Order: sequence, then C-alpha cells, then structure tokens
Amino acid sequence: MSAKSTFEKLLLCLLAVCLTAAGNNLAFGVEPVAAPEDLPELELEKDELKFGFIKLTDCAPLVIAKEKGFFDEEGLQVEVTPQPNWKQLLDNVINGELDGAHMLSGQPLAATIGFGTKAHIVTAFTMDLNGNGITVSNDVWDKMVENDPALDTPTPQHPIKADSLKSVVQEKMDDGEKLQMGMVFPVSTHNYEIRYWLASAGIHPGMYTTEDIKGITDAQVELSVTPPPQMPSTLEAGIISGYCVGEPWNQQAVVKSIGVPVTTNYDIWKNNPEKVFGVTKQWADDNPNTHVAVVKALIRAGKWLDETDADGKLVNREEACRILSQPNYVGADFEVIRNSMTGFFVFQRSDKREMPDFNVFFKYQCTYPWYSDGVWFLTQMRRWGQISEAKSAAWYDETAKRVYLPDVYLDAAKRLLAAGLIEESDVPWDTDGYRPATSDFIDGLEYDGKKPIEYINSHAIGNKD
Amino acid sequence: MSKDDSKMDSVKYGLLKTIDVSGFRVFDPVVRLMFGEEPSKQVGEIVRYMIVPIIFVAFCVGAWAVIAPRHKTKAGRVPDPIQVWDAYTINDTLHDRENEKEADFESLGEQREQRIASVEATLKEKEAEQVLLKEKLSEVEISVKSQIDESLSPLTARLDALKVSNKKAEEARKSKIATLSEQVIDGTSTEEELTTLMAKNEKLKDEAKQEEKQVKELIDDVKSNPPKALKKTQMAYNALAIEIAHLNKRLDYLGKSNRGEKVAVAQAGLEKVEEKLKDAEKPAALLASAKSVVRSQEKVERIAGQSYPRGTTIWFQVWRSLFTVFIGFIIAALVAIPVGIMCGLNRVVMACLTPIISIFKPVSPVVWLLIFQIVVGAFFPNPDTHPFFVMMSQIPWISSLKINPAMVYSACTVAMCALWPALVNTALGVSSIDQDHLNVAKVLKLGLWQRLTKIIIPSSLPLVFAGLRISLGVGWMVLIAAEALSGSEGLGKYVWDQYQNGGSTSFANIIFACFVVGIIGFFLDRMMIVLQRSVSFDDGAAVV
Repeated sequence: MSAKSTFEKLLLCLLAVCLTAAGNNLAFGVEPVAAPEDLPELELEKDELKFGFIKLTDCAPLVIAKEKGFFDEEGLQVEVTPQPNWKQLLDNVINGELDGAHMLSGQPLAATIGFGTKAHIVTAFTMDLNGNGITVSNDVWDKMVENDPALDTPTPQHPIKADSLKSVVQEKMDDGEKLQMGMVFPVSTHNYEIRYWLASAGIHPGMYTTEDIKGITDAQVELSVTPPPQMPSTLEAGIISGYCVGEPWNQQAVVKSIGVPVTTNYDIWKNNPEKVFGVTKQWADDNPNTHVAVVKALIRAGKWLDETDADGKLVNREEACRILSQPNYVGADFEVIRNSMTGFFVFQRSDKREMPDFNVFFKYQCTYPWYSDGVWFLTQMRRWGQISEAKSAAWYDETAKRVYLPDVYLDAAKRLLAAGLIEESDVPWDTDGYRPATSDFIDGLEYDGKKPIEYINSHAIGNKD
Repeated sequence: MSKDDSKMDSVKYGLLKTIDVSGFRVFDPVVRLMFGEEPSKQVGEIVRYMIVPIIFVAFCVGAWAVIAPRHKTKAGRVPDPIQVWDAYTINDTLHDRENEKEADFESLGEQREQRIASVEATLKEKEAEQVLLKEKLSEVEISVKSQIDESLSPLTARLDALKVSNKKAEEARKSKIATLSEQVIDGTSTEEELTTLMAKNEKLKDEAKQEEKQVKELIDDVKSNPPKALKKTQMAYNALAIEIAHLNKRLDYLGKSNRGEKVAVAQAGLEKVEEKLKDAEKPAALLASAKSVVRSQEKVERIAGQSYPRGTTIWFQVWRSLFTVFIGFIIAALVAIPVGIMCGLNRVVMACLTPIISIFKPVSPVVWLLIFQIVVGAFFPNPDTHPFFVMMSQIPWISSLKINPAMVYSACTVAMCALWPALVNTALGVSSIDQDHLNVAKVLKLGLWQRLTKIIIPSSLPLVFAGLRISLGVGWMVLIAAEALSGSEGLGKYVWDQYQNGGSTSFANIIFACFVVGIIGFFLDRMMIVLQRSVSFDDGAAVV
C-alpha cells in the first residue's frame, strides 16, 4: 500500500513538474520577464542512445541516470554497455558505435591534441572527483613497513608518502631490475597521480619521448598499462608490484588480501577531477539539444548520488551500490563496492577510515567542466613528455576551451534550475572557468590554472619550459 | 504378417540410417533392442558404450564436486557443479527479467492494470521477506563477529606475547654483543667471535620475524574467511534486494516510463497546444503556437516509435554469436571452395597460392582481428547512417541482433581463420580425383562446366565437407576470442565481462559459459557431420 502511494505521489510530482515546465514555456511564451527564448523545449535530434562505460564505480552517474529514470524523463532511451578497455571505448566513440562514454579526463584532451588516437572529443560534464587509490603488493608493503617503523601499526598516519618505497626501488635496481607498477592508460588520471606520488618522493617514474611512447625513459619505477579489472590478478601474478586504479579494484585487493592500498588520490590532490562524459565534436554539433538533455539527466544523477540527510550522511549510496553490483554494470560484489562508496575506505582489514569525500559526484560544483581541470592535465602531459615541445600559456587555455563546453552545461543547469531541481548555489554561473589557485597537493606545490608554465617549472622531476 | 515384418524392418533400418548419418551411432543398439534383434548382444553393447561412459562422466562430475571446493586461490574458489548450475539459473532469470520489463514497457490498458496489481502484490511480499532477512542478517553478523573475535583473541594474544618475548630476546642478545665488543677492545675475546655472534643474532632476528609473520598470516586467514553462514545470508539478502529493485523498476516501466503512458502525456501536451493554436489572435502568437504544435506532433510520433532498450542477456548473446559465426563461415566457404577448386585443377595456380596460404595460415586470430578492425572500420565512417547498417536494421529478425561494425570485423576474423582448412581440403579433394574419371570426361568430350558439375565437384565433395567441418569448428573457437577482444556482443564478450566483474559468482559464470560454448560447438559439429555424410558415397565412419 505504502509502496503504491509513494509511487503515485512520485508520478503526480513528476506530472506536476512536467506540466509546470511545459506551462512555463507556453504561458510565458511571449512575456519578456521569464526569459522565454532562452528556454524553449528541447527538440531532441536523437532519442535512442548508446553509451559506453568501464567497469568502475565512478561510472555511477551514467548508470544511475538510466536506472533511476533520469534519462527517461528527458525522453531518452539509453543503453549503457561495458567496454573492454579505454582504447576500445575511445575508438567506439570515434567510429560512432557509441554516442558518448564515461572517459578519463585526459582522453578528450589527448585525442584532441593528437596524442594517441587523434579525434576532436569534447566534454560538457565532469562525472566525479577523487575515487582512485594506489595499492602495493603485500611484499612491498612489508618492506615499506620495515623501512618506516611508523607504518607498523594497524592504523598508520596518512598521507603515506612514497619515501619509504625509495629503498625498495633502489634494492630492485641493485639487482639489475626495475620495480614494475601498473596504471590504466597513458593519459589517465591514474598515470599522472602515481607519477606525482612517486616523483614527490624523488623516485623517477620515467619520461615519454617521441621515440619512447611507453614512457619508461630514465625510469626508476616502470609503469605499464593494465585495464582496471585485471589489476588485482596482474598484481597477484607478480607481474606488477603495485598499481593506481579506481574503485572497486583497490578494495578487491583488500578483500582478496593480495595487496595494501597505501594512499588515495584524495591525499595526492584533494578533490581532483576524475572522469568526464565525452562525445565527439561532430556528435555535439549534430545533436546540440540531445547533448543538453543528456547533461541534464547526468547532473540530476550526480545530485541524487550526493544526496545527504540532515547529519550529512549519504542516503542514496547503498542503493547505488546495489545497482552497480549488477553483473551488467560493475558486477563486483555488493560488499566490495560498498567498502569505498558509502563514505568509507578500507586501507587494510584493520584500517577502515571515514572518507566522506572519496567519491564526489556533485558537491563542490564538481560536475561543471572547469577549464582549470583541463589545463592541469595538459601540464602533466607536458611534464612527462607526452607533449613533446614547449607550448605557450595561451595554448593551454585555448586547448582547454576547445575541449570543455561549459555553455552546454550551463544551458542544462539553467533548465534544471527553472524546474526547481537544483539550487542556484550548485552551479558556478559567472565563473571564467578557472578555479582559484590551490596547494592541496601531497607536496604542497601551488597550482594556478592561469599560470601553466610556472606550474610545470615548479616540479623537481619532469620537463621544464 | 510378412508384410508387417518388412514394414517394421524398413522403419528399423530407416531409424538406423538416420542415427548413422547424424553421427549418433551410440544409439544403434538401443534401436536394435527395441526391435528385438539379438537382445543379449545389444544389452552388452549398451552397457559398454552407453552405461560405462555415463558412469565415467558422472564420476568426473563427482570428482569435480569434491576437488573444486578444496582448491582455492586468493582470487577465489573453484566453483562446484551446484554453483555452476546456479549460475545457469541466475543468467536465465536475468533473461526473463528483461523479457518482463520489455512486456511491461509495451503493455497497455487493462493488461497493464493487471500487471501493476500483480507486481505490487509480489513486491509487498518480498518487502516483508526483506525485513525478516535483514533481521536475520544482523543476527548472523553479530554472532559471526563474536565468533571471529573469539578465534582471534588467542591469536592476537599469542602475537603480542611473541613480540614481547622476541624483543626481550633481542635486547638480551644486543647487550651480550655490547659486552663482547668491550671484551674485544680489552683483548679478552677475538674479533671473529664478535662477528659470528652478530651473524647469529641476525639469523635469530630473521627467525623471530618469520615466526611473527606466521601468526600474522593466521590472523589474516581468520579475518579473510568469514564463515559460510554469513556469506550465505549475505548472498540471499543481496539476491532479494536485487529482486526488489527489479520489481520497482517494473513498476516504473508500467507507470511513468510505460510507452503508452508517455504517449498519453505527449498527446495531452499536443492537445493543449492545439487549443492554443485555435485561440491565437496575434500573428506572432499564431506562429509560435503552430511551431509548438508541429513540435509536439513530432514528439508524440517519436515516443510512439520508441522500443525498449533491452539489456543484453546470455541467450541474446548466444544468438548473436551463432549469427556471426555463420556469416563468417559462409564468407569463408564462398572464398575457399572456388579457390580450392582452381588450386586443385591447375598446378600453376597452386604454386602461386602456396606461399600465400603457408604464410597466412598460421597467423593468430588476434592479429587478424586487429587488422580487420582498422580495415573494416574505414568502410563505415559513420555506422549510424551507413546504408548497409540501415538496411540491416530493417530486416525483421536480423535487426534485433543489432548488426554493427564490431560484428562485421568479428565475422571477418572468423572467415579469415576458417578459410584455410576448407581451402586446403578442397584443393586436395580436387587434385586427388581418380584419373579414370577424368579420362572418361575426355572421351565424352565434356566441356569445362560439365566436367566441373558432373565429375570434379561430386567426387571431391566428401573432402570439401570434411574441410568445411573443420572450418566451422575453428570459426567457432576463433569467434569467442574475437568477441572477447573486440567487445562485439556475444558469448566471448560475456566471458570477458564476467572476468572483468571479478565478483564472487563470476568464476561460476565463466565455467557456465564454457559449457554453453562447448555444447553449441558440439551441435554445430554434428550438423556438419550430417551434411558430410549425406554427400559421401562410401560408408566411412564418422569420426567423433
């Protein structure tokens, strides 16, 4: 009975929303007060869409928008299909097999500037902040503990820097080998994060050059690409001794006791951008209204995921974990996904910490496509040699502006605001696209998106311009 | 009487022939027994060739059931037959659920009302069940926790004691070393004694560490292996939660996401704007309303044409894989047979093609897949609007298989790998035709076409089909790998997705898929045997 009545209420609410939205349009159609021409009803160019994702918990906005009916309410029939790896996902978006996809932040940028597959990819929506971890094998962890007795407690002090890893790396090099670690894609956040973490302790993670596209020139630790879901088994097989990956693959290592997560990217850079929703420029140009409708649904999904009660407890995450644990989505066990998605993170079996911001899907105006986020990734590409020659500060700005489309985002947000579905404060309406300078990094360096060259030069290891 | 007998005989031999041709010779004694032919001999054959193999297979399954649970790695446990069977039922349920949701999406009127009522009733039941199960789960959790604590406390105590004693021992050794080093300075002891003592100390230190590590591992073992009862309840609860979510989703598809409902809402909107159009007085307003009428009309039409976005399920993937393999196989046959005949007929052609065949035959399917991905991709720059795919999406049954470039290049990979056995066998079949037959053709002055259709093709058919049978087997094997790599929906992708899921049931799902692939492969092979035997003149036995 209660289920039925809530359902009816929901239906009524929805109808009301639809009607008011439609009513707004029509009733004020000719009155200048409500800025009518700004918000005509969206004429969808395409209503049956296919989106791709990789089996990671941060695909949640896409899955939730589908499962909770946010796409439906925009009149979109959406299929979301898992992709075998990041490269295939990008290829499928480029060849038109997919309309859009859950992408690494670096992917649209790299594709646009032509590092790897070249194609003009754009994004109007940042899917989440944080959400990655660095895990090392039990062996390496034991050695790190040996080097730094302070780590030898069930709950060591965080953030754990890579300093205690240094002698492990040296030992390995003395044996004529190099420590092997995994990351998920050459232009992934994970690659830059694990490099940042290693370099901040003076360990050289290797440079990319025009000849060396594996990025292991001068490396003290060699990084290689492994798709996220294969990380735990590759670690267990001893091919790599550690990795940087998104969830649930760090928790999987804990559950299977094959490794120990030592740090999260929240500690490396507090509230760093992670995944984006990417489409081709061509698609965005051909389907401008559909694009806005998709972003609307995604914003609502993000908001739903970050919904909290009066005590600040995340209320919808448990349900989200249930949905994500279905085999056609992330498919890992519910208990594993829950470990990191409900505001906690399990470092070791004995060390479960509260981390309310481990996954951020809506707070801190994070879904807005910030130019400064794009510039940060570009600076890292330059720092590690993926961009082979020095560029001007203006180039960084222009490139970010070619890829990030805040106009689409703001259009979607405006409509949601008019329908009363988001708050005015949820969106940075008059920003120039650059977040204020921040020094929330593990090594305390300051990043200002408007000064990319200075930022690149401030690092000890890496290219300098 | 005798007429009846001969009739029975013809039925009997008809049946025996069918069994023989289809390659199920093992049932031969069963048929003979039914017709009362030498019962004791038939029973003996049945026991030897049917009962014993069945017992053997049963023994294998039994051995699997016994060994599997004992074989565990950190990545998980090998699933036993029951878990694999469960995987089958779960996958089947997933398929049924998609069907239910699709029907919900399309249901209208009274039928919809009925569906809503029934779903709500089940939902209520399940929710009541969930409350009970939740209580049980928390009870089990508490008891398990106390249980674990109980088994942990002696271990942690042991570890603490060990740490303390090791520390003490080490301090004692250290002081000993200190005194010894003083003695060395005094000259009462030698340096050698000091170094041996230090080496001994290092060794003891390592031993102590090893000891500690062992206890730590024991502790970890206890922590990482929660009792079965907890896992079982957790799984039951998760399954129930997923079912409830499914029921809620169904309600959604019966309610606001139902196609009929959505059309109705859009229709209402349309009527409203139409009224507005009638009432419009000023030309500007008239224009605006007319525009929105057109828009609303389009919207109604668009929504009415929507179809349910089906999630992929294993049975869909099986159909798609079968379709792909047949397309690949047909391409392979269309290329291999003519080329093979040419090779067999003309030694120059054979000499020309030999290097190409020998070089490309051993190339791995993975390489072909990557090559075709690029080659095929170039032909379809925009698959959504490409005429080929548009055409495919209009053919009734095929449109439901969602033909896309990934399928095309998977099929091409299958064709490329399946090509060689058929080609080589055809060439062999043609070149080994009895010279007498060809001489007869010469005497009769048959033209090339007649020679081909009357003599060459008929006499080489058995070998051609033997080649095609190998080709299909190869194609089926290659397809699974190609799909896994290319992400083309199908059994291969199913296996890959399961591997990537890394959940507790993933391994069982993979083994389930292994059986599905095997059983389908078996039937494909039988099908080819039937074809092969029906064109053979000799009565050569079908090889298993």
